[in-house]
Amino acid sequence: MFIGTENLTHVYMPGTSYAAGALQDVSFSLERGEFAVIIGPSGSGKSTLVQHLNGLLKPTAGRVFFKGRTVCFGKQEMIRLRRQVGLVFQMPEEQFFSDTVYDEVAFAPRNLGLSAADESTRVEEALEQVGLKARLYRDRHPFQLSAGQKRLVAIASVLSLKPEVLILDEPTAALDFAGRHSLFNLLADLNRNLGITILVATHHLDEAASLADSVFVLKDGRLVLAGLATDIFRQREQLRKIGLALPPITEIMYGLADRGLPVDPAVFTLSDARRVINTLKRRH
Amino acid sequence: MMKRSITLGQYLPGESLIHRMNPRFKILSLLMVMGLLFSLKTLGGLLILLTLAFSLIVYIRVPLSYLIRGLRPILYISLFALLIHIFFTRGGVVLIRIGSVTIESAGVTEGLFIVTRLIILVLFTLLVTLTTTPLSLTYGMEFFLKPLKILGLPAAEIAMIMAIALRFIPTLMEESHRLMRAQVARGADFETGSIFRKAKNLVPLIVPLFVGAFRRADDLALAMEARGYRIGAIRTRMYEDVIATRDWAVFIITLILLLAVLILEL
Repeated sequence: MFIGTENLTHVYMPGTSYAAGALQDVSFSLERGEFAVIIGPSGSGKSTLVQHLNGLLKPTAGRVFFKGRTVCFGKQEMIRLRRQVGLVFQMPEEQFFSDTVYDEVAFAPRNLGLSAADESTRVEEALEQVGLKARLYRDRHPFQLSAGQKRLVAIASVLSLKPEVLILDEPTAALDFAGRHSLFNLLADLNRNLGITILVATHHLDEAASLADSVFVLKDGRLVLAGLATDIFRQREQLRKIGLALPPITEIMYGLADRGLPVDPAVFTLSDARRVINTLKRRH
Repeated sequence: MMKRSITLGQYLPGESLIHRMNPRFKILSLLMVMGLLFSLKTLGGLLILLTLAFSLIVYIRVPLSYLIRGLRPILYISLFALLIHIFFTRGGVVLIRIGSVTIESAGVTEGLFIVTRLIILVLFTLLVTLTTTPLSLTYGMEFFLKPLKILGLPAAEIAMIMAIALRFIPTLMEESHRLMRAQVARGADFETGSIFRKAKNLVPLIVPLFVGAFRRADDLALAMEARGYRIGAIRTRMYEDVIATRDWAVFIITLILLLAVLILEL
């Protein structure tokens, strides 16, 4: 168990009439190098949960663990934890404050107190990791980039911490289909090539489904389903009750299966779907 | 630092009689109580008002811890006012003399008066803001500003500006908390260092906050215009506020109280 929580409960503003239970008794964990997804409708507690993992929020009850040890929320420990567990917030480009892409991405290394040379290497590496040529982008103004490029710079500005775990809260929010698709492919690359453990909180099942090893489903602050992606997406009725729509491709496969065709509905990618349909055609 | 906080006086939902009172009457009653407060000349009268304020605060079920936390800054101001009076108001018997500094009895009583008045004032104002949504509060104020239209005062627009400002306070608070956490996640430190360093460290917080506020203002203006908002247009409201018997009852009780005190004190 690399990173996760045990019986985590979080209550916002206890003791007032605004008190709201955000998380109830959530236990989950990831292995090192895993690619996992937390899905749940908006307001289900995804953001609250992920902010516990790098110590931004303290549990009201229960514990957070990282590398087999309980996180104690001491000051020094927090600094170390936040270097190793990078968190990309929702709409991260809204945090931009620098005049150049370079300065934006260099913010984290500067906070670590790295030398100018190390800082520069980190920035270039981070930009290349998200697929942006450092040479072309370093001096551009972050506000002048396209939505997709801004998102990439924002992710690079966390990758420059060189985290072992990268957590992203709704990374595809407000991106178009192509942007979502390439972003998830990028995350898969980071996971495969650099061995970064990745956790994505999202309500978009489309891309998540085909890439994730494991899936955790949150509903009203409770963990209601957990398991392998292929197992989770076979529980269509359950997901529908939670208020999550299956990826359209999977829905089509369910439609075929409902009409009595011999189809396994756990299909998430276009190429798999094409293969399944071609097999069907050949048989008939 | 990362705790979500509520600003003092922010609306707390509830079902009490005061919650359901018409905002116009709440404001009117508050104004009358203020008048009463500053015409009272005996400590006894003030104590009665203080008791009334406290019992009403208890009645609307404000968590005590929240009240104490919120009142702390006002206590500092009160203390300051008290000290100023104690040391600088002359008159009555000299109580203590240290060198050229004297503490005189008139200063002490005057100081206590001011402090009690201040606390009562704050408690009654809280009573209104805690039980009224910002929106109905501004509509209430618009009603009282309306007569000034004759003088060219844009009452409706002022009310709209106030409503928008109030509406966005929690949003901006939330936003700044979110930004703070986001920058802390990137290794920012808002807590240590000298004042100069701390101020410099705020740049990653203030720049995005301003950018966000401008973007929001832009979106809001567009959305309002798309819905036909025009300066100077006559607007109707979706929910007309009703004046119930209880509103008149509270109004008349306050009025009687005010008159009784005025007659007694004069």
